[in-house]
Amino acid sequence: MDINYQFLLKTFYLVLAAVPMTLNITVVSLLIATPLAFYLAVVRLRPGKYLRRLISAYVTFVRGTPIVLQILMIYSVLPSFLNSICKGFGWEINVFDWNPILYAYIVFSLNTAALLCEVFRSALGSIDKGQLEASLCAGLTSWQAYRHILIPQALVVALPNICNITVNLIKGTSLAFLMTVKDMTAVAKVAASYGYNYIEAYMDVFVAYVIVCSAVQFFFNFAENHIGKFRLIKQK
Amino acid sequence: MRPFNPQFILDVLPNLLPFLWVTLAVVAGTIFFGSLLGFLLAWAKASGQPRWRSLANAYTYTIRCTPPIVLLFIIFYGLPKFCLEVFAVNINSYDKIFFVIVTFTLLFAASVSEVMRSAYEAIDRGQYEAAVSIGLTPWQAFYHIVMPQATVVALPNFGNSVINLMKEGSLAYTIGLVDLIGQGQLIIAQHYGAFALETYLALAFMYLLLTLGVEQSFLRLEHAFSQHKKAA
Repeated sequence: MDINYQFLLKTFYLVLAAVPMTLNITVVSLLIATPLAFYLAVVRLRPGKYLRRLISAYVTFVRGTPIVLQILMIYSVLPSFLNSICKGFGWEINVFDWNPILYAYIVFSLNTAALLCEVFRSALGSIDKGQLEASLCAGLTSWQAYRHILIPQALVVALPNICNITVNLIKGTSLAFLMTVKDMTAVAKVAASYGYNYIEAYMDVFVAYVIVCSAVQFFFNFAENHIGKFRLIKQK
Repeated sequence: MRPFNPQFILDVLPNLLPFLWVTLAVVAGTIFFGSLLGFLLAWAKASGQPRWRSLANAYTYTIRCTPPIVLLFIIFYGLPKFCLEVFAVNINSYDKIFFVIVTFTLLFAASVSEVMRSAYEAIDRGQYEAAVSIGLTPWQAFYHIVMPQATVVALPNFGNSVINLMKEGSLAYTIGLVDLIGQGQLIIAQHYGAFALETYLALAFMYLLLTLGVEQSFLRLEHAFSQHKKAA
């Protein structure tokens, strides 16, 4: 099989140069999604019927439909929707000039928020209710109780799942090229199209993703051992 | 902006439905071949041979780090070239569904092998030993004693894998397979980009029904398979 090794190497550097873009989308989406997901999870654990049903419908929708469809849906509607809003207010803003990465942030945050919400809910649910009651009795405010008592315990339970979601999110960003974001896949695709070297280009992307995902998993393993320390002490 | 037209969601359904079978064929084909490959991988992982085990583990790890779309492109562009030069077989004219099923078989096998391995390990070793000690052959012990119990353990995770497969399968349109989403894109193109949201919403509802359907059927299956537990 004739593989153009020169091209393979050259494109690999190009793809590596696009890694920050992939990480950028991942990190920003996680930063937006985490507080949102946490809020949704807390609301779902509280009594109150309608809000809870709304959130669970949202979670079901996100989990039940392919992410490609979510991307296509938002990317087909949101730009012209924002444009008509701007026009309605008489603002002189051209929405179509905006960086498409904005839509990537929106899609991946909305998607991840729903998935994280489930993780946080089950993690918070795994903590005994008495912990919250005891901290409230001891005079902590509800915020303090969450900050100092519940979240540190829930985080240890949630970390493996958060790692999974992060890895899936990184893999999911390979679809950002559908929104004309210049991530690893898009860069490889453009480089390949000049000489029809698609195999080499996608091999590069494949290797780059394995490296990035391995690094992230290594980081999460480290974090889990670090945060989970108190558990190990208890077991001894 | 063109006003939203809810009626179109219903109007587009008859045009989409004939292509449901393509999506389902991809899923069914992948479940069949993927389970076979997954079974082999799980067997390699559970076997005592370190070489096979580490090979299977490395495979699973690599696949887990690979975005489905990248693997799909590698298979779509690479497999015909590979087959032509190594086996001297020209598969360029094969239907696109072939490449889609190959790709998702590779992906599905990795996740299913983990499901099968953990289910197999969840069954107490004593079950197998007891079965062998009363005179069953190792295969009989596995087939009649261990496997029925492991199936019940594996079912929920297997269902999850199938749902994931169905969602990832929607990427098939990127190499030009006309499945549900491919047909949706064609319909949108026929309307010069209009009715995009309506078409996508119709597709989303179809996928939602499919995933909920799969979830419910696996719950039913699990219930049916665990009947013997109550009797005991």
